[in-house]
Amino acid sequence: MADLRGTHGESNGNLLTRWFGTADLHKLDVYESKAGGYTALRKALLEMEPAAITNEVKTSGLRGRGGAGFATGVKWSFIKRDTPEPKYVVVNADESEPGTAKDRYIMENCPHMLLEGIMIAAYAVGANQAWIYIRGEYDEPYRMLLEAIRELREKGYLGPKPMGKDFPLDIQVYRGHGAYICGEETALLESLEGKRAQPRSRPPFPAVKGAWGRPTLLNNVETLATVPWIINNGGAAYAKLGTEKNPGTRLLTVSGNVKRPGIYEVEIGKTFRHIIMELAGGPPDGRKVKVFWPGGSSAPVLPESMLDTTCDAEALAAAKSMGGSGGVIVMDDSHCIIEAAHRLLQFYAHESCGKCTPCRIGGDWAVRMYERILANQGSQVELDNLRQVSDALQNGRCLCGLGDSAGWVIDSTFRHFRSEYEDHALRHECNVGKVMANA
Amino acid sequence: MSALSAHVLEEIRELPARFPQPRSAVMPALDLAQEELGHLTPEAMTEVAHALNLDAGYVEGVATFYSLFHLQPVGKHRFYMCTNLSCMLRGANELVEHVQKSIGVSEPGEVSKDGLFSYEGVECLGACEYAPMMRLDHRYHYDLTLEKLDSLIAERKGSSPRSGEVGAAEPRRVGTSKPRAPRKKKSDG
Ligand SMILES: Cc1cc2nc3c(=O)[nH]c(=O)nc-3n(C[C@H](O)[C@H](O)[C@H](O)COP(=O)(O)O)c2cc1C
Ligand code: SF4
Ligand code: FES
Repeated sequence: MADLRGTHGESNGNLLTRWFGTADLHKLDVYESKAGGYTALRKALLEMEPAAITNEVKTSGLRGRGGAGFATGVKWSFIKRDTPEPKYVVVNADESEPGTAKDRYIMENCPHMLLEGIMIAAYAVGANQAWIYIRGEYDEPYRMLLEAIRELREKGYLGPKPMGKDFPLDIQVYRGHGAYICGEETALLESLEGKRAQPRSRPPFPAVKGAWGRPTLLNNVETLATVPWIINNGGAAYAKLGTEKNPGTRLLTVSGNVKRPGIYEVEIGKTFRHIIMELAGGPPDGRKVKVFWPGGSSAPVLPESMLDTTCDAEALAAAKSMGGSGGVIVMDDSHCIIEAAHRLLQFYAHESCGKCTPCRIGGDWAVRMYERILANQGSQVELDNLRQVSDALQNGRCLCGLGDSAGWVIDSTFRHFRSEYEDHALRHECNVGKVMANA
Repeated sequence: MSALSAHVLEEIRELPARFPQPRSAVMPALDLAQEELGHLTPEAMTEVAHALNLDAGYVEGVATFYSLFHLQPVGKHRFYMCTNLSCMLRGANELVEHVQKSIGVSEPGEVSKDGLFSYEGVECLGACEYAPMMRLDHRYHYDLTLEKLDSLIAERKGSSPRSGEVGAAEPRRVGTSKPRAPRKKKSDG
């Protein structure tokens, strides 16, 4: 494996990454002997009622780490455990949000921590079968998960009677094939069922009618990897960390123009100044932070002047952005905001599944407007068109969040960098040239 | 004669039993076909469809939706080069140009004359802390530089890079990025 970039080891407050860096942590015997692995599963299976497990997760206040931030314990309680039909746990390991690498970090360092969380969740909601949907490009994490699952079967932790408990459990891994939209939960389910990944309309929600029409609990990798800690230490201990409404720690992927890009485990509520300037070392010498995406490319941008915003959901909502996937992308003042927005619109246009008209057409349309502006052929017309497209993409006019995200890129970059848009489109000037000349 | 070998077809026929509903086998089956042939020919997709009792048009509809299925011939070694934001901010576009020149192609998907290489600019590969990066031969390659690309290409051509060229003094720096060419859009559906 490559060098670890980011949090690992004993330093204060590491819940998830505490044991990362331990030699052979990916192996079952090391996870058990050195990191206290599978004590939470043992406790859950042998000492706790399923409802008590779900309650513990509710008490922790844990919110989903996949993007939407929904309360995890509440989601678990939506599944009716005692119906006779098969139920599934489906794990979202599609991790395709630009700027996000933390699920890979977990799976490569400690696949068993994820598997333990999955098994606890499966027992809590009454699912005997779990599926991990992992993006197809993750070759190494895929191999590691298969090997870890093999170890579990061999030891009997997966099988007819895990740890002696009469509750058959199995985990399968399903590989994706390169489509961002598969991260959206209902598109993921379509894909798992062997179809083109186009989101379903909700209701019914996956908790009622999910994979293969059965009740399904769908959670992100990091969400589930946090569960063993909560079961070992109690929901109340977890709730003491972070902010009141957004407890705990989370893994932030800090990338782009910083000296120490990496995956940092951060207690929720820290400022982005701390995260970007201290943990990640800030931009290269002589450069300044210009803008950052606080939660993946889908989170509306914040300018340098908002570095003191804290990384909890409430503060980010007040700043008109969101915590999203925890991908913190930093861009310094040697780069042009129009170019960045153009690149992201190319992404959203390319990844649109084509189901809703504004998203299918609007993305390409916006890309063309950016191309004209970047080629110094812009005018007020292009600016007006961009505003119109951004409007059409937002506010529930699209079936899934991809449309909104594309709209937010246009909207938020315009809101904070209006003069750069106008310089570019109306005066055919890029302010980066000026910045670099004065440097 | 069939496009897919008997043992691959046999493996494909065994896939549906692994899933609660047989349709879920379609992508794993296409994986096996693509592994054998390098890309998915119309004949191969038809054979997959027959083996799974699915409509050939359905199978093709699935294959065209996902970018990891190739419907055209590809190089033996494929450079999936990340050009999304975090990699772009650290010089990805210049690396793409360099690969283009080094393997002698002018656009994504085009196969080099010797059949060894093709490249694609791809979206974020989820390893942004190692940007700029790419996937090549089922492995991630990190902290890319022009020199690293040169030696990866040379290794695959079966010749080792000339000494003195690799790792000599400071690596050449990759500068700021240029906007890239628009890409082919996924077929509408
Ligand atoms: C376009 C789009 C892409 C998404 N991509 C991902 C992803 O890659 N990984 C993920 O866990 N969630 C992703 N989500 C969020 C999921 O739909 C879902 O909310 C999440 O997986 C639920 O798990 P959680 O409650 O544990 O966060 C995406 C959502 C949208 C709208
Ligand atoms: S918003 Fe875009 S990606 Fe989402 S369902 Fe509609 S067309 Fe598909
Ligand atoms: S942007 Fe290149 S790996 Fe994420």
